[in-house]
Amino acid sequence: MRRTVTPVVLDVRHGSHARREVLRRTLRATLLLMFGNMVPSVFAAAEQTPSPPGAEEYIIWPSDGTVIHGGKLWVRMGLRNMGVCPKGVVFPNTGHHHLLIDTDLPPLDQEIPSDRNHLHFGAGETDARIELPPGKHTLQLILGDHNHVPHVPPVYSKKITITVLKD
Amino acid sequence: MYKIIAVAALVMSAALASPNAAIAGTTPAPAGAHEYIGYPNDGQVVPANKPFKVWFGLRYMGVAPKGVKYPNTGHHHLLIDTDLPPMDQEIPSDRNHLHFGAGETETMIQLPPGKHTLQLLMGDDMHVPHNPPVYSKKITVIAR
Repeated sequence: MRRTVTPVVLDVRHGSHARREVLRRTLRATLLLMFGNMVPSVFAAAEQTPSPPGAEEYIIWPSDGTVIHGGKLWVRMGLRNMGVCPKGVVFPNTGHHHLLIDTDLPPLDQEIPSDRNHLHFGAGETDARIELPPGKHTLQLILGDHNHVPHVPPVYSKKITITVLKD
Repeated sequence: MYKIIAVAALVMSAALASPNAAIAGTTPAPAGAHEYIGYPNDGQVVPANKPFKVWFGLRYMGVAPKGVKYPNTGHHHLLIDTDLPPMDQEIPSDRNHLHFGAGETETMIQLPPGKHTLQLLMGDDMHVPHNPPVYSKKITVIAR
């Protein structure tokens, strides 16, 4: 079982999230019915935040293939040509880091899930303390805007694999 | 009456003696906040007159752009060939004090040949250091 140790407050979403999601889907479905299939793409694009050209997110450390003894590590989150800003704050050309553990990229036009496989760093953190059980694990970063939705175009890192050895 | 004077005197002396009164800003820094230069390393040789990357590291604290008030955050300032500025004032903005008010966490700089020092210092939404101030070790690089 994995336990994540994040010293700073992890961004925990409340129950209203699910309700909002249902509302949003209903709204989208209604619009789809009303205006046909040309509207949804426009609608989806209108609520997403643009990313600046050249923006690049990457994992500074660990590097791909690193072997970790014991399972506790700091993940250093890197970002080029863009800035970091906490959740809920609208500031041009910024976003906050999300660390994906043992999972693929989520849908790129929706709020990034918040669970054990999707860690949010909504307080503007750039170093993440995590703990992983022995075995192979994948790590990937994706930037989310003030609403935790990926940018357009999306800004995410390469997915890397690390191995944790019991020590 | 004496009591009031005594209390007043106590308050006055506390205000005067408080070590934080003049050596730090007013935004509190979280306990354990730690700023460091992820790259280059202390003593490292870097190419002269060519851009090289400087990584800003921060633990137990977050990054927010200038002007954004958010608890336990600030933005990075890179001090080049200079000592720490006064800790209770806005960090200067010049060639020796680079501001990263857009929330940047790395930069490219270039330096002429010779020894140079690099140090990071966090500033709050108003570019004033925190209380206690959060800054990195000062490192030396050799541009060659």
